[in-house]
Amino acid sequence: MAEGDRLTGSPTEVRGVPDFVGRPGPSAYHRLNPLTKATSATVTAIAAVAIGGLVGPIVLVTLAVIGPALAAGVLGRLVRTALLLALPIAISAFLVNLFFFPGAEQVLLRIGPITATAEGLGFALEILVRILAISGAVTLFYLTTRPADLTVDLERRGVSPRVAFVANASVQTVPAMVERAGQITAAQRARGLDTEGSVWRRVRGVVPIVGPVILGAIAEVEERTMALEARGFTRPGRRTLLWAPPDSSAQALFRWALLLGLVALIAARIAGWPS
Amino acid sequence: MAVLTISLAGVGYRYAGATGPALLDVDLELAEGEVLGLVGASEAGKTTLCLVVSGLAPRTVGGQIRGRITLDGEDVDAWPMHRLSQRIGTGFQNPATQLSQVTSSVFEEVAFGPMNLALPRDEVVARTWTALESLRIDDLADRDPQRLSGGQQQLVALAGLLAMRPGHLVLDEPTAQLDPAGTRLVGDAIERLAADGASILVAEQKTDLLAAICSRVAVIDAGRVALVGPAADVLADPRLADFGVTEPSPVRLGRAAESAGIADARLTEALARG
Amino acid sequence: MVVRWIAALAAFIIVILIGMVTIGNFGTGVDPENFFDTEGADSFALIGAIALVFAFVVYAAVEYAQTGGLASIASQFDTRTIVLMPIAVAINIILGATVANALKLPIYLDSIGTILVGALAGPVAGALTGFLSNTLWTYVVPPPFQNGPAAAFGIVAVVIGVLAGLAGRAGWLRPRPNRPIGELAVGGLIAVAIVVGLGVYAYTRFYVETFEFVNPDNTDPIFTILGWLIGLIFAAFVLGFLWLLFVRRDLTVAYVTVVGVVTGLIAALISAPISANVFGGVTGGGTDFLVAAFRQAGADLQTATFQQGLLSDPVDKLVTFFVVYLVLAAMARRTKARFPQGERLLEDAGPADADDGEWRRATA
Repeated sequence: MAEGDRLTGSPTEVRGVPDFVGRPGPSAYHRLNPLTKATSATVTAIAAVAIGGLVGPIVLVTLAVIGPALAAGVLGRLVRTALLLALPIAISAFLVNLFFFPGAEQVLLRIGPITATAEGLGFALEILVRILAISGAVTLFYLTTRPADLTVDLERRGVSPRVAFVANASVQTVPAMVERAGQITAAQRARGLDTEGSVWRRVRGVVPIVGPVILGAIAEVEERTMALEARGFTRPGRRTLLWAPPDSSAQALFRWALLLGLVALIAARIAGWPS
Repeated sequence: MAVLTISLAGVGYRYAGATGPALLDVDLELAEGEVLGLVGASEAGKTTLCLVVSGLAPRTVGGQIRGRITLDGEDVDAWPMHRLSQRIGTGFQNPATQLSQVTSSVFEEVAFGPMNLALPRDEVVARTWTALESLRIDDLADRDPQRLSGGQQQLVALAGLLAMRPGHLVLDEPTAQLDPAGTRLVGDAIERLAADGASILVAEQKTDLLAAICSRVAVIDAGRVALVGPAADVLADPRLADFGVTEPSPVRLGRAAESAGIADARLTEALARG
Repeated sequence: MVVRWIAALAAFIIVILIGMVTIGNFGTGVDPENFFDTEGADSFALIGAIALVFAFVVYAAVEYAQTGGLASIASQFDTRTIVLMPIAVAINIILGATVANALKLPIYLDSIGTILVGALAGPVAGALTGFLSNTLWTYVVPPPFQNGPAAAFGIVAVVIGVLAGLAGRAGWLRPRPNRPIGELAVGGLIAVAIVVGLGVYAYTRFYVETFEFVNPDNTDPIFTILGWLIGLIFAAFVLGFLWLLFVRRDLTVAYVTVVGVVTGLIAALISAPISANVFGGVTGGGTDFLVAAFRQAGADLQTATFQQGLLSDPVDKLVTFFVVYLVLAAMARRTKARFPQGERLLEDAGPADADDGEWRRATA
């Protein structure tokens, strides 16, 4: 390319990183460092399991999930999404434990051969609350954090760019593959494939779709590999990042406090507290 | 960046596990500011030659090579792919598989290459904007690359290559999978690059495009360079059809007129020269 | 080199000891009221899996300290593998979500990608694929595909990836077509013996009280029916396996069957305590019905979960390994060969690409 032309020179005006790259979130909670939000979600989920009982998880959810969700303005979406997520498990868990709790004495209800028991009800409620807590914590993270933000933050801290690449590409590949599956489904339907009806029919309907989707994706591996290597992907070591989410020592302290608190909680529970 | 000449001397290549060579005895040179077209029937070796020139064969693709490839006299045999990718940029047919799938905006997509090179951030940003502007797609900077048309995606891929500031571009049938609108979009972009003095090796079936931009054209047949010379000569050569190549429309027009008795061979040649 | 393995082994043993102290000796009584089940025996596989992860971390740390790099691990992660992994993760998530939510079958089908990567690229790559699949499935993938419990089972996916990688490395997934009948018979016999042996052991240890085949008065009629049904499916499976073996004349069918069943058993062992202690045995898929059935028969939570797992997991992993085997068979030779473990999945070595005379391979 000739010297002085636009290919080797500078852009016409001095422009920095555009503001749509790494756009900060709408609320203060959104703008927290992604690692903080991830730690919070994970610690909340594990703590909900560790605390056990009914009161513990409910208090935890109020503090760690509902409060921040309110502050972030996502409470409505959170409730809808978390409930949706937890619903199948919750129903299963509730029914299974309510009716099929062996060794229980207090019978509440008897329907034919199966009985609902009070112990079963207690256990079922515990599991329900626990699942809702986990679901809420995870959904809060999902609603307030873009996946790319978390991977950029981890990469900034030293995670290999290749791991970050796999994580980011996975997130984009899922909807892309679903779309392709939809296209193949439509094409197969046009050729007479039956996708409605009994379970057996639906299972049989899955196979002529799954095969082409998987094989088609694998066939692209060679091309994608070449395209990536043509853009310097094989260079070992770190790469430049256009931006990174801000962090503060207060947040770092908070993260450590959460982790230590969790360890203390688990140790206490192992030791037998509270009863 | 100084542009260096790529030279292939006696180059042969065979894919891993293949019985015979895909390329044999190839002597070719791509000099500064030159646009070299590559034509041939499908499976004749166009793609293989592109991969060999760019270094992807044998580095990424495997297989074995013979002969010498030099960049202004320096043997590049031991160069790793990421070093070679800064000198030679490679574009492929399928626009969608060239996207990295880790970016949510065209800007970040184009910046992907320079980021991999660990250049300072300002340098990355400057190169990205330059590349976007040179292809006139800076208005697409905030768009999601997955949601663009094929032609636009191909331009984004091209911009991503330009951001690496290579001395040469190797493009393997860039318009093959595009609709007419996309073909025009990408064809115009390549014409502008060529007019600006870029060094391009472009393999194409669409000889009209090559007629417009190439200074020289090479014909590949069964893994060997059957013909190479000035574009107008090669594209008007009557043997093209034997090699499975469609002549450019002016040439076809001229020949049709000839056989209809309306014109003579000199008119055909004049048409071929554009 | 030896130092690394010794350090890893030491870490492995230490973590197991810690696990035993925390959870309790393997073989004490059951107490479902406590937060941690005191019957450590139920969790030995989980502790083993956690110990494995720690041992790996220690191995990597020692290698890094010794050589300043992670060559033995990084070699499994060339560009091609990195490109395949997101595809594998997506396959895991989409199929797993479809089976759990839409089809409601008592299997999972969420490990096809993990096993594929393990076979092609190696144990560490497979493990990472599994881990990322489960983690992303919970935290990042949007509804309707999102699966809350998945992240808790990340360790199971890690072990599955490791097993697949080891199986690939050992060459067990290499096609072996056109073998003589004698060889097929021996292979088939061994495979059937292993699987039936495991099945009988599992039955006498875990199911003997639940499924009463002969005396239907002892238990609910539903279990007699279920028992016979499972028995019939098992018999059909053995017959189907033999048919497949002798019709395709591919000895690898025997290998794949054994690997699939064993992987399923290990997966069941590791996932049962997680499912029981964290989620009360239910995860929202079709497997919950089985857990309910076993609890109705009087089993406690841990046992019921394990009984369900012991039925679902081997079937699931068997099907998954077969799917992966079919996918590998459909892949072109050239495509497979370029993967880190690809050579071990090829039928034969192929024409030797000898560096004869002037032909040379890539040096960089």
